[in-house]
Amino acid sequence: MRSSEKKQVEESKKAASNGAVVSDINGVPSVPDSAREDISNATSESEDEDWHNSSSDNDGDSSSISDNTDESSDEDDEDTKAINEAMLDYMGALEERRQREALGSEEEEPRSARTEVESDSSEDEVVPSRNTIGNVPLHWYKDEQHIGYDLAGKKIKKKEKQDQIDSFLAHTDGSKSWRKIYDEYNDEEVELTKEEVDMIRRIRAGRIPHAEVNAYEPYVDWFDWDGKGHPLSNAPEPKRRFIPSKWEAKKVVKLVRAIRNGWIKLDKPKEKPKFYLLWGDDLKATEKTANGLTYIPPPKPKLPGHEESYNPPVEYIPTQEEINSYALMYEEDRPKFIPQGFQSLRQVPAYSEFIKERFERCLDLYLCPRSRKKRIDIDPESLIPKLPKPKDLQPFPNICYLEYHGHTGPVVSIAVDPSGMWLASGSMDQTVRLWEVQTARCCRVWSLDGPVRHIAWNPRKDLGILAISLQSKVLLLDLELGTSDPDEVSKLLALNPSVMDNDGDGALVTWMKHENLKALEVKHSQEVLSITWHHKGDYFTSVAPDANTRAVLVHQLSKQQTQNPFRKLQGRVVTAMFHPSRPFLFVATKMHVRVYNLVKQQLSKKLMTGLHEITSMAIHSKGDNLIVGSKEGKICWFDMDLSTQPYKTIKNHHEDIQAVAFHTAYPLFASCADDSTVHVFHGMVYNDLLQNPLIVPLKILHGHSKTGGRGILDCCFHSNQPWLFSAGADSVIKLFCD
Amino acid sequence: MAKERKKLKKKEGNAAKYTTRNKALNRLQIKLPEFRRLCILKGIHPREPKKKFEGSHKTYYHVKDINFLAHEPLLETGRALKVYKKKIKKAQAKKNWSLVTRLEANKPSYSLDHLVKERYPSFIDALRDLDDPLTMLHLFATFPAEASYKIPAETVNNCRRLSLEWQAYVARTHCLRKTFISVKGIYYQADVAGQKITWLTPHVLSQVVPNDIDIRVMLTFVEFYETLVGFVNFKLYHSLGLKYPPILDSKLEAEAAELYAVMRDLGKEAHEASEKEKDSNDFNSLSDTDTNHAQEPVNTESRLAESRARLASLQDRLSKMAKPEGNEKLLGVTDDDENMEEDENEDDDTRQCKALFKDLKFFLGREVPRESLLLLIRAFGGVASWAGDNAPFEESDEDITHQIVDRPTQGHIFLSREYVQPQWVYDCVNNRLLLPTIDYLLGRVPPPHLSPFVDNEKEGYVPEYAETLKRLQTAKEGKVLPLPGEEGSKDTEQFLESVVANRTESMEELRKTQKQAILEKTYQEELTKEIAGIPFSGSIQTMDRDEVDGEHVVEKEAYSHPETMDEEPPSAIAKAMMPRKARKLYAAMQIGKQKKQAEIDLLKERKRKSERKQNKKVAPEIEFQHTFESRCKASG
Repeated sequence: MRSSEKKQVEESKKAASNGAVVSDINGVPSVPDSAREDISNATSESEDEDWHNSSSDNDGDSSSISDNTDESSDEDDEDTKAINEAMLDYMGALEERRQREALGSEEEEPRSARTEVESDSSEDEVVPSRNTIGNVPLHWYKDEQHIGYDLAGKKIKKKEKQDQIDSFLAHTDGSKSWRKIYDEYNDEEVELTKEEVDMIRRIRAGRIPHAEVNAYEPYVDWFDWDGKGHPLSNAPEPKRRFIPSKWEAKKVVKLVRAIRNGWIKLDKPKEKPKFYLLWGDDLKATEKTANGLTYIPPPKPKLPGHEESYNPPVEYIPTQEEINSYALMYEEDRPKFIPQGFQSLRQVPAYSEFIKERFERCLDLYLCPRSRKKRIDIDPESLIPKLPKPKDLQPFPNICYLEYHGHTGPVVSIAVDPSGMWLASGSMDQTVRLWEVQTARCCRVWSLDGPVRHIAWNPRKDLGILAISLQSKVLLLDLELGTSDPDEVSKLLALNPSVMDNDGDGALVTWMKHENLKALEVKHSQEVLSITWHHKGDYFTSVAPDANTRAVLVHQLSKQQTQNPFRKLQGRVVTAMFHPSRPFLFVATKMHVRVYNLVKQQLSKKLMTGLHEITSMAIHSKGDNLIVGSKEGKICWFDMDLSTQPYKTIKNHHEDIQAVAFHTAYPLFASCADDSTVHVFHGMVYNDLLQNPLIVPLKILHGHSKTGGRGILDCCFHSNQPWLFSAGADSVIKLFCD
Repeated sequence: MAKERKKLKKKEGNAAKYTTRNKALNRLQIKLPEFRRLCILKGIHPREPKKKFEGSHKTYYHVKDINFLAHEPLLETGRALKVYKKKIKKAQAKKNWSLVTRLEANKPSYSLDHLVKERYPSFIDALRDLDDPLTMLHLFATFPAEASYKIPAETVNNCRRLSLEWQAYVARTHCLRKTFISVKGIYYQADVAGQKITWLTPHVLSQVVPNDIDIRVMLTFVEFYETLVGFVNFKLYHSLGLKYPPILDSKLEAEAAELYAVMRDLGKEAHEASEKEKDSNDFNSLSDTDTNHAQEPVNTESRLAESRARLASLQDRLSKMAKPEGNEKLLGVTDDDENMEEDENEDDDTRQCKALFKDLKFFLGREVPRESLLLLIRAFGGVASWAGDNAPFEESDEDITHQIVDRPTQGHIFLSREYVQPQWVYDCVNNRLLLPTIDYLLGRVPPPHLSPFVDNEKEGYVPEYAETLKRLQTAKEGKVLPLPGEEGSKDTEQFLESVVANRTESMEELRKTQKQAILEKTYQEELTKEIAGIPFSGSIQTMDRDEVDGEHVVEKEAYSHPETMDEEPPSAIAKAMMPRKARKLYAAMQIGKQKKQAEIDLLKERKRKSERKQNKKVAPEIEFQHTFESRCKASG
């Protein structure tokens, strides 16, 4: 298109130079009337549109003009036609301009200022051209001197015609001459501006005359399609979308109220310092807790010892054998930590159990029940009662002084003569022996027809009678050691004839004369286990536990009579004893000791021993205190003035206590047991009733050996020396002196 | 029905006082994990009723404890958190991201401050229970903050910070008393406000979290401990007039010299604080422990601050003139420290601790545990540096007296300093004296490291090295120990030891003669009494008096023995007179005693064996020499 355009322009120039153009320009007789009308209409109609538009409007009319222009150019009529058309189009615009000028100011303004005026005068109603002849054929004025009439109605004179040569010269000389067009209607020449030429060229190219108008601007889709998809319904927008919501308004009111009242805080709360002074200045520990319970602090873990060191002394590191032996132990006995030694600190590895141990500690802290336990942090020696030293309580039997050998069986019972010269002993080897205490010489031996159970010396010094229990018999043997007349003793032991008479089936016992010994025999129904004399030496009791109601019998030697003081007995009787000064009888059963008043014939006291099985009993010489030995190795001391409960229970033996004994003169008592020991105690009884008896263990005497599961079977004190005799199952009798 | 129920409800006794765990859960309307968490935070533990009315296999809580829990605000917070989590989950499921972000911004928060105050109404209470928290924090400080372990990195960092702050306090107040390197870790014992606080730090090696532990339990504990230790640290720093939290020197922290970083900050702040005091007289930040002494220190403080300011400016000028400034600044700070604390009224122990490493300069090799050694050296008044950037001084510093190394050989050796193994520092600290370094030198097997927490006499077995240490200590008390510079040579040491031995011997002799004199005196007294005829009840009294004396009882028995020729100890007979309870207790005690004795015997046996082994090792050598000699003789 561009190239063709250029061509057209060049041709037009050529034509101009040939002179044909001139004739052409001049030769164009007139613009057709219809076209002229159009132009004027257009100008009048488009009130406020600028002249560009009006020219574009004229585009449509170009076809009508083309007919007229055909005659002037033959060869390239299309090109020239187009130019002419455009030029003619432009004519209208020019005319309009002219009219405006005429209206605004009579004198002509320079061309440069013309455009400004045009724009200003756009509001004018009808802009008349210079010529006012209207749309009439111009050839009507062909032969006239004038071309028409101006606004005032005066004739507009024709311009004088230049001759052809002058016009040609003017055309060739002026560089702008090619842009000049002759307006026949107004009889004047118009020069086109550069822009106007450009516009013409664009029109000819079939494009939009104005360069600044872009017909193909990029398309902008102002609607936001993102994520909208296709509308579900094509329903029209409801009304509610266009009116404010009531509920929203309510909500807003609510929020406003909340903000005003401080329920909603819009600004973020200020960051408080994370740590501050929590505790005041007091450095005192408090006992109170918030929940009112005493605070039990968690126990602190044990502090590490030498063995935990990374480099402990050699002796703390177990040998490989020891470590191996741990595998054989029970899991709970196994040491939890095995010490290790490292040559230097850099070799120490991380302790793999660390986290586990901490975790277990955590578990302990919140899962273990805590309670305060009083841990006794005392020296164990302080538990041992502080007693007076034995050396302050001398004399007491301390060392073995003599041994009495001779028996071939266990010595079951021993008894010391009231004068303290003689010792009698009965044994399982069916003999009773008499020893001289000071020399350990066996003076006499009596062979009997059964194992001896018990022997008891008559407390009367002048008589010298020994009571021996032999199975179901009790022998009253005259030892011929009495100080009194031997006849008197033999008379006493002679069988009383009245007794013979009384003999019958219903009798408790049978008194009779022993066949070959100088002795009186009392035959019981059951085996007699113990005999005790009354302190005056006339009465004695015998205990035969198996004899039910006849277990305890009281015999009178002088009258050779026997009586059964009890109609009924509670429990199996172990032993029975007379009170040393008052008419009381102590009967020890398995668990209790009963005290009977013989005068009133009633039970006076029942002593609760708390023992399982009583084996022996001894009474203090003053009669208010009593000791009881038991099979569990315990001795109970009863203070009868105090209570029926034991004043003191002493657990000293491991095995059965066989016998207990009080010294008649010294504050001593002793117990012997199957564990082959004799325990000697200091047992001081005060005359003052307010002072309790003082019991101090003094000495444990050893020496006997255990034979057949039995140790020491009997013990007794010397009657006036602080000496102790003990009879063992090993058939030896020992004398312990101070 | 209602009547019956009322009847059933117990009003007194165990059933009214205690409740089982399940009942408590029902009452509180929470699940077991929440209950556990609450119990840990509130410090509530099961209790042991006298009679377990619902069976011995159940856990019993005190009713008051449970009521206490029921009124805990944390219970509500827990519920709020639960609801909050639900909301977030729901929003996430609905992809309502805006709601999620909004919710996340408004997460309900809680603090445990009130619990600290509640559980520890006074500061001393908190200090008393500080052992576990400190150990736990030190452990967590070394944890890997890995997602697989579910340990938040924030917790690890916080633990690290808190433990460093604590260490800094300890180092600054010189209240560290004992340390012990065990296989498990390093134990420290500090004396803060009269409370002995022991904590254990693991060796600085990576920790592997075993699978069979519930880390949530530990994290709950740590959560409370963080708060507790934070407040304790605040109080401690406040009592020193320091700002809390201290600002760490980031450069030093990056160099893993954190303690130093904190300490630096403390030094700086102390300076500032004192300056402030000078300005306002009524500012009473220091020593709130006892108000009596409060006024005096403040005055002296202000005076000191003045002089220090003058000194600092002077030093500044000097340093600009002469030396590179970085070094000097640090030294200045340390000087400040010492001046600061000079005037504080401190006990003998602290003074002794502070002066132990005074004037000593240490350099730590890179293979030794730096944090531990820095703490020790700072706490005992020394100066230390290490290999690395930003270290206070270089390895080539001429003034370094000790270099702590733990390697078989050392390339370049400065003759001006001693190369010792780390154990030397620990042993010195425990014995409060500078031990001769000869046994701890580079490349040697150091002597056994003994626990300072053991009372050897009470245990009944004294290791050999403990005796040596004791001798050295007595020597120091006698002021015979030479200056630290001379201690290296073996001759002087031997001489010393002999002197010490003589001293101890003479001391013992003196003691013996004194004892004998006392014995004679008491014997005379008793004789006079006997002559006068005082009954034995009187003698009981005298005996009682003797017991009070305690020491003399044994001696008296000793001389009474020959008189009575008694082979039986009197206690054996007296045992018969013991009541049953005491007798059984006595027997139980004897079992424990025997066990202890057996342990001691085992140790002695092992010791003997090891000695024999050593002798054996030496013996063949001698034998060989003998045979060699004899062969020479025979041939010659």
